[in-house]
Amino acid sequence: MVTEDARLATPPEAPRRWLTAGLPPRETIISLVGVAVLWQIMSYLAPALGIPAFAIPGLGRIAESLTKITAYDVMVTLGRVLLSLVVSFVIGLAVAVLMYRSDSVEKYLRPLVRILMAVPVVSWILFAVLWFRGVEFRIVFVLVVVCAPVFTVDALDNMREVSRDLKQMMRSFRPTPLQFFGKLMLPAIAPGLITSWKIALSLAIRVVTIAELVGAVTGIGHQLSVAQELFSVADVFAWTLVLVVLLFALEGLLVGLETRMLRWRA
Amino acid sequence: MTATAPIEIAQLRKVFRQTTSGQSVVAINDLTLRIEPGQLVAIVGQTGCGKSTLFDLLIGLEHPTAGRITIGGKTPYDDFNDFRGRIATIFQQDRLFPWRSALDNVKLPLELIGLAEDEQQQRAMTWLTRLGLAAFAHSYPRELSGGMRQRVAIARAFAVQPEILLADESFSALDEVTAHDLRTTFVGLAKEFGSTAILITHQLEEAMAVGDRIVVFGKSATLLADVTMADWDRTDHPQLRAAIQGTLQNNAPDPRLSDR
Repeated sequence: MVTEDARLATPPEAPRRWLTAGLPPRETIISLVGVAVLWQIMSYLAPALGIPAFAIPGLGRIAESLTKITAYDVMVTLGRVLLSLVVSFVIGLAVAVLMYRSDSVEKYLRPLVRILMAVPVVSWILFAVLWFRGVEFRIVFVLVVVCAPVFTVDALDNMREVSRDLKQMMRSFRPTPLQFFGKLMLPAIAPGLITSWKIALSLAIRVVTIAELVGAVTGIGHQLSVAQELFSVADVFAWTLVLVVLLFALEGLLVGLETRMLRWRA
Repeated sequence: MTATAPIEIAQLRKVFRQTTSGQSVVAINDLTLRIEPGQLVAIVGQTGCGKSTLFDLLIGLEHPTAGRITIGGKTPYDDFNDFRGRIATIFQQDRLFPWRSALDNVKLPLELIGLAEDEQQQRAMTWLTRLGLAAFAHSYPRELSGGMRQRVAIARAFAVQPEILLADESFSALDEVTAHDLRTTFVGLAKEFGSTAILITHQLEEAMAVGDRIVVFGKSATLLADVTMADWDRTDHPQLRAAIQGTLQNNAPDPRLSDR
């Protein structure tokens, strides 16, 4: 028999919270299910509305396409994104450090960085096709040229915002330039760098597919191109879903890393 | 480490050019002072009298416009790296790294001087224990009170066993009970290790509580008084005190220097 005390000790919402742990909020689920139902209704009504049936495939057809997703292409795209992000981060941060350390370097490089950021992605893809032969290099080049300036601008802004007091304290202990950067600047700008990674990741996932449309014979972008040539909207949907899930998964990893690294702020 | 060399300040002058108006402001004008090894000197003066500029020059973060500071024949600004691990600072704010635990904050200067990891750990823990913070070694600064954070800052400064300790208004942001407690700790430790200590303050009472010697600055670090506590004890307190307070009031600093 459950006593009154025992009943009070276990709040009634506790089991419910346990059941829903890790799930998205109820509103998210409702809106997603709502769109799916609407989509299914549209797919039934399409012929009656004069829309070709292939243009709005049913959920069953999309699910079937999802089963045909090749892990190899997902891994190739993921590899290209991660490699490019690491290269972008290293270059972006190095340029930011140079700009931080020298006002004249900053004056020369800032307009160039701004110009890089203003050039449309499509132009970079065309340049890459015209300038380089290797497909992999073209893709990495486009991703790096788009993502590295994001890291540069964010890192530079964050370095400028590091407390003057902390810099003075650190200098009073006479660190080497490497110690100054590694023990003060890098940890101080870490929260800003993680935010930059989130921005650059979302940018890279969107740009990689466009870059892969040109010349690549592997990867999600290539598969999207094939699906488009075959007029398979279901396949386009399936690959797009994979991309979105990939982005969310990587963002989830970054949030986990952020929580772990920045627990001193909690 | 016990200090062996005096700090010799000779005809020191520091002029800043204001970026907005382009005007020159004399922060320190012709200061000559000798501080003996192991001495505990309190420098008193109103805000903007040039005492914090002197602090930056002593740390080695600024170069004088004229004159020089020498410690054992070397200057802390030109021979900057020769003083690694020999000078330690305690500021008004604790200036702890918020991303490091109390223990890791104390370890910071030990890492910079390249001490072995186990020795860093042992020495930092010893100092935290001496400052009564052993139980908070793994706490982040945000989890500590203002007084506790300043204790960590003191532990960080003493952990390198410096010859010279520089404290800039280090206890003035604390409540009087905590400030008194930390002043006593500071003086005790400086004496125990034979470090030369310079405390910069705007409070005469604090200067008297800490210093073996009190140096009073007027405008542009003009030397208004330089009294050892032994002399103080031999003189008529109220008269000397009134004289020092009078000179402090009559030598109000240039307000343009208030951010220095």
